[in-house]
Amino acid sequence: MVELQNVSVTYAGGVDALNNVSLKINDGDFAFVVGSSGAGKSTMIKLLLKEIDATSGVVTVNGYNLSKLKKRKIPEFRRTLGFVFQDFRLIPSMTVYENIAFVLRVLDAPLKYIRKRVPYVISLVGLHAKTNSYPDELSGGEKQRVAIARALVNDPQLIIADEPTGNIDPELSYEIVELLKGINDQGTTILMVTHEHDLVRHFGGRIINITNGEIVYDEVVTGTNSEILPEVELAQAMENAARQNHNYPMPESDMYDNSTPYVDDVIAAITSTAANQGGAEE
Amino acid sequence: MKISGIKYLTNQGIENIWKNKMMAFATFCVLLISLLLVGCSVLFYINMNSMILGLGNQNEIAVYVETDTPQERVDEIGEQLRNIENVGTVTYISKKEAYERMQNQISQGKEIFDYINDYQFMPDGFSVTVIDNEQLRATVDAITRIENIQSADSSPQVAEFLRELRRVVTLIASAAIVALAAVSMIMISNTTKASVFSRREEIQIMKYVGATNAFIRTPFFVEGLVTGFFSGAGAFFITWAIYRSVYNIIVAQGMLINAFGAGSIIPFADIRVPCGLAYLFVGSLVGAFGSVVSTRKHLDV
Repeated sequence: MVELQNVSVTYAGGVDALNNVSLKINDGDFAFVVGSSGAGKSTMIKLLLKEIDATSGVVTVNGYNLSKLKKRKIPEFRRTLGFVFQDFRLIPSMTVYENIAFVLRVLDAPLKYIRKRVPYVISLVGLHAKTNSYPDELSGGEKQRVAIARALVNDPQLIIADEPTGNIDPELSYEIVELLKGINDQGTTILMVTHEHDLVRHFGGRIINITNGEIVYDEVVTGTNSEILPEVELAQAMENAARQNHNYPMPESDMYDNSTPYVDDVIAAITSTAANQGGAEE
Repeated sequence: MKISGIKYLTNQGIENIWKNKMMAFATFCVLLISLLLVGCSVLFYINMNSMILGLGNQNEIAVYVETDTPQERVDEIGEQLRNIENVGTVTYISKKEAYERMQNQISQGKEIFDYINDYQFMPDGFSVTVIDNEQLRATVDAITRIENIQSADSSPQVAEFLRELRRVVTLIASAAIVALAAVSMIMISNTTKASVFSRREEIQIMKYVGATNAFIRTPFFVEGLVTGFFSGAGAFFITWAIYRSVYNIIVAQGMLINAFGAGSIIPFADIRVPCGLAYLFVGSLVGAFGSVVSTRKHLDV
């Protein structure tokens, strides 16, 4: 379970990365965290990994109150998590097997268990043939599957995936999220940060939109893969929620490349048009 | 932690040497050079000190026994002298030997001895060397307190000069060794830092999966320990080769031996064991702790 209660983070330079954020993700949930660059997503991940401390508020993850967690208890806390990063973060000098087994070594698991568990997890992500390969010998998608296997191997309560599809081909992205969904079906809570709204639209689920350090949208939606919520409808729903919470338009920097029909593009376009019209009328 | 865990971390440390062989080799070389610099300086100082002591040993105390002392008593005095603390060697010089020495010393006045032609007027004597030249005066005082001793002469100026020389040599050698050790530490520190820096991401990943600092540091400790041990062994064998070559040249040419006395230059066989142990111990220690300390900066994730 993840719970943020009135959490704010202000960096040394005076930048407010998170502003009075409250959020609760229950056990077994699958939540997408979306938002533009600089919105506060990475800060939230850092908070949840206890890389940084909240300036104010209470952060609770898997029963650990991170605001009060002592430094020497951090390893114990992190062992209850799995993490998947955009840049894979595999140890280059270790094989696929060793990278995954390392997590169990840290837990001081019996050798017999490691020998049984690691091949099982490797087969779950479909990399049995690559067991003895080094990360350099794998494709991006394969590396990310190894990262997922590593996140999974200690049977964590929560997996935090920070842009797990950011460095891989779009078609492989769906596979990765499918994999995470499959893990979620087994009862593991998944928190996935992403820029790729296509994926969010496709899979649906709980969507948390962070903008300028605040949660502007937090709803459960059905994915388009079940053809229930059309793209524009989802975009409109998110935009309405955002406008209810904020009276400012989306930053222009987020009015990006037209070739990528992200939800944010739609939102920004609508918001910008509305603002321009309002300005013209005045 | 279980034994299998300790075995795993130890193996990881050894495997890491091979996996990061370029950085391990750089660390090995820097450690080897540093150990050689400091080790050779220490050996040079030890030999300088030994040579000064050798000079001191040539600073004899001439002990004269009262002329009418019976031979039995003279023998007793010899024993008493040997029992004095700080006395190195005691050589008996009979009346006859003393007479001959005097003849040799006064070579231009040999005619005088034609008239005397009897050594019985000469006192029995002893030539005494001391172990520690610093305590020459106290030793002379102890000798003069023995009954039937007429006088005990030494050269306190020589002792004083040697004391000063030793002090200066110690000072210069200590400063040089400290400076070399400092430079070596900086070199070693930079090399181990570079070695660890190249693996900082690896350390961060370990932190993310919940590894404790001790768990992360242990392989680095083993890696540094093994690298340092081999550096120490390498430095020892190089020192051995250099030392033996220099020693053989000095002995073969009889250099310094006459001035400082035989045995003042220490043969390598006499210092082989402590020298080897010191190299291995210091090499392993510096390697292991240098490696562990360098990880500290990257552990705060």
